[in-house]
Amino acid sequence: MLLIRAIVRPEKKDDVLAELSSAGFNAATMVDVVGRGKQKGIRIGGMVYDEIPKTLILVAIQDADKDKVVKTILKTAKTGSDGTFGDGKIFVSPIEEVYTISKGAPIL
Amino acid sequence: MKEIMAVVRMKKTGATKKALVAAGVAGFTAVKVSGRGRLVTDPARIEECREKLLSMSNDDSGEKQDTEQVVTSFLDGSRFFPRRLFTILAHDDDVPRIVEAITNVNRTEHGIGDGAIFVMQILDAVRVRTGESGEAAIW
Repeated sequence: MLLIRAIVRPEKKDDVLAELSSAGFNAATMVDVVGRGKQKGIRIGGMVYDEIPKTLILVAIQDADKDKVVKTILKTAKTGSDGTFGDGKIFVSPIEEVYTISKGAPIL
Repeated sequence: MKEIMAVVRMKKTGATKKALVAAGVAGFTAVKVSGRGRLVTDPARIEECREKLLSMSNDDSGEKQDTEQVVTSFLDGSRFFPRRLFTILAHDDDVPRIVEAITNVNRTEHGIGDGAIFVMQILDAVRVRTGESGEAAIW
């Protein structure tokens, strides 16, 4: 199983989550986070903003669904036709065990 | 070394903390998150919930449609609910014990929405105060 952590623009989170839901991945967790990327934040006038608000979306999936989920997020989280700085990142990491508490069992 | 990520009900935060202390794990990081999970598939139960929620609404507000929309969003799984995300670092041997402790206090009679636990491998950890790393950095 894999844990997908996607950092997306807060204004894009609804699109991403709706698209994931219609692709069959309804379960998700989201956190409001702040961060900066390799552009070192945004410089406006003399002011540097390096705590830019983003939304972190966590989705646990089966290995086989990785491409589908990643493609869905990439497609919906992108702004403009070529993408823009600040559109976010997707991290994929392996999960060793998953437990659903209400079932009390090790299943996703 | 393992990282345990547990999403639990807000109301169960206190119980989870107590259970963790009882399991011998005092250290954790918690974040407020919102989440959604599997849907209730039993139509009878959904209908029962729906009627209960609708009966709570104010009839003469004249916003019956809005109320219905909200109630539907509660039940069709598109809405996010507040949850607490615990992140716990643990030695490999302690993982089953901790998972069991969290599961035991967080199971409810609702049978759904009690959260999920993810267990992941951690490559290294460093305690900032002493600089010690590896297994020694975890309590």
